[in-house]
Amino acid sequence: MSVVSELRRTTRSADGDQPPGRRRRARGGDRPATARPALRKGDGRAAVVFLAPWFLGLALVTLGPMLASAYLSFTDYNLLQPPQWIGVENYTHMWHDPRLLNALRVTFTYVLTAVPLQLVVALGLALLLDRGVRGLAFYRSAFYLPSLLGGSVAVAILWRQVFGVDGLVNAFLGIFGIEGKGWVSDPDTALWTLVALHVWTFGAPMIIFLAGLRQIPEMYYEAASIDGASRVRQFRSITLPLLTPIIFFNLVLQIIGAFQSFTQAFVVSGGTGGPADSTMFYTLYLYQKGFASLDMGYASAMAWLLVLIVAAMTVVNFVASKFWVFYDD
Amino acid sequence: MRNRTVRLAALLAAGTLALTACAGGSADTPDASPTSSGPPEPVSIRFSWWGSDTRHELTQQVLDKFTEKYPYITVVPDYTDWNSYFDKLSTSVAGGDAPDVITQEERYLADYASRGVLADANELGIDTSKIDKSVLESGTLDGKLYGVATGVNAYAVVADPAAFAAAGVDLPDDKTWTWHDYVDIANEISAKTGKAVYGAQDYGFNEPGFSIFARQRGQSLYAEDGGIGFKESTLAEWWQYSLDLQQGGGEPDAAKTVEVDAGGPEQSLVGTGQGAMAWFWTNQLTAITKASGKELKLLRVPGEDEHKRTGMYFKPAMFYSVSAKSKHPKEAALLVDFLLNDEAAGEILLSDRGLPANTDVRAAVTDKFNATDKQAADFLAGLQDDIVDGPVVPPVGAGDVAEITKRLNQEVLFGRLSPKDAAKQYVTEVESAIS
Repeated sequence: MSVVSELRRTTRSADGDQPPGRRRRARGGDRPATARPALRKGDGRAAVVFLAPWFLGLALVTLGPMLASAYLSFTDYNLLQPPQWIGVENYTHMWHDPRLLNALRVTFTYVLTAVPLQLVVALGLALLLDRGVRGLAFYRSAFYLPSLLGGSVAVAILWRQVFGVDGLVNAFLGIFGIEGKGWVSDPDTALWTLVALHVWTFGAPMIIFLAGLRQIPEMYYEAASIDGASRVRQFRSITLPLLTPIIFFNLVLQIIGAFQSFTQAFVVSGGTGGPADSTMFYTLYLYQKGFASLDMGYASAMAWLLVLIVAAMTVVNFVASKFWVFYDD
Repeated sequence: MRNRTVRLAALLAAGTLALTACAGGSADTPDASPTSSGPPEPVSIRFSWWGSDTRHELTQQVLDKFTEKYPYITVVPDYTDWNSYFDKLSTSVAGGDAPDVITQEERYLADYASRGVLADANELGIDTSKIDKSVLESGTLDGKLYGVATGVNAYAVVADPAAFAAAGVDLPDDKTWTWHDYVDIANEISAKTGKAVYGAQDYGFNEPGFSIFARQRGQSLYAEDGGIGFKESTLAEWWQYSLDLQQGGGEPDAAKTVEVDAGGPEQSLVGTGQGAMAWFWTNQLTAITKASGKELKLLRVPGEDEHKRTGMYFKPAMFYSVSAKSKHPKEAALLVDFLLNDEAAGEILLSDRGLPANTDVRAAVTDKFNATDKQAADFLAGLQDDIVDGPVVPPVGAGDVAEITKRLNQEVLFGRLSPKDAAKQYVTEVESAIS
């Protein structure tokens, strides 16, 4: 939903010859805000009916469980016996849990490297494809494919093989006489194989970049080349600024998604977050605490800390966006 | 996604808690009197277990036999693979929907028993007279029998005689070999084969191995009173042997070790013909033999004759437990009794849940065993006289110890922690997990 509206918005803002701001103002002038057409009878009921499935879903599948988990986060709950109220103990314990701090370190490392790298790759390929490659539709689909597969269990298993001692990567390095190692099973490199997996799933942001690039009016480039601007200069002064809303959108979405990564680490490490906790994502630790250690109260508190972290990151993102995102209107 | 699942589970849990709270008053109503004449009321009970497809098929055959004998009891099978079994069990218990007959595992037994989930099998009239006393003790907590062992295993060294022969190294006398012998032999095999075949696979990822090591020294992993029962230096020593193997070439480097370990028995060094020795449970012999395509040999672990006493023990493969909340405890007990004591059940299950705990059943079905099962049975029979006792039931929280062992072992193998520091951290973490 938000993708569509955001895209529409950027489409408009990139629409040079008819700035949307002016359009909006003109419409506002014609018709004062108070003079909206009156709701027809029955409209409200229809709206309720149409919204009902969404509301039901929200209440039952999201809101209810969230409230329950908020309550459970203040309890000692082992799943087998009724929860016992213990106040903020779960939350205070977090600061003394070295494995939790390690999980945060691992997760932040992952998010702060995998997301920017992936966006750079996605943008690079979008720029290449945007230059009118023959068979664009084929490449677009081919490049998008990893996005569909990336979060799946099958690919995570494949990844373990590719980066294994006798895997593809080492076979390739072997051609050049370099002796590889067990990338997935070495704590110094295991996390980076997951970063590589994330970067490989660049398809979704690439498609969005591609759509954004298509919306930049050709005339800007024409004018720039008449003035003698180089390709690099055109990219820096036209493409990049007009693309910032899209970059921002991708950034926010990918960061939120990356914080919740679970499957890759779970499968690649066999559910352990190993070797030596080097791929212990926050969500994986949460899962282990809740279901393996039967400490659902603590796991619930961890879930809420994650909500707070993701919310904070998003706020930071939005605040920072004022300084670098350029809206044409 | 995951968050939502957790929250959903939490909600379901909370909801059902409320429901069970309401239902609490009526739960005490007795069932229809079974003493009355006429055919018994049909009842339905649920039986949960984990395992491979083979086990599911075998178990279903046994359940069919059970229904033949007791036509009024329907058994609903409830099975998953090992990895998701306890996740599923904990959520269904939390939801007030525990299976009537629950398959349990050593490390989780105390968790569930101490929280009132499991019933005392002694009170249910399950016949345990044909089961070895030390095996029964493995399921006993505070005098109550919370789980009856399905069968027994032992942790042992699986050796590949062909690999020994290829390296020109003699198989050791497993009654007298020491830990030093173990390291020397493994290093020698690696050296003589140019690491085409490694002497041994790392053993440090699994705490039963350490439990044996500690018992040989008159200590134990867990103490009788619930804490730990070993010295830090003992654990450090155990890991030091492991490092000696790594440095001497007897076992692969750390990264390869981690990878091999993740592959399970089939992908183990012995299973793939790349190693001469590895530590496994006796009921895994069939799987490893199948993977390697060679005839393998079970050896007693090193050091049994080196210190105060022997450390090896019979481990209950798994337990049958009856839910304390079962609405049909009598029928659930009948099923457990059937699984344990009926020869027809034994003939189908054979050694799938360990060698049958009921010694009569074991004797009766032994000639039906395949070669590897027979080998394991003979091996266990040979141990009988030398095994002193069984370890205590692992305390509440012991499920976490498996994870702690694996992780700290990796820290040691990768040289990130010295054996001494790792042992220190191990004690801290285990003590906090089981407190």
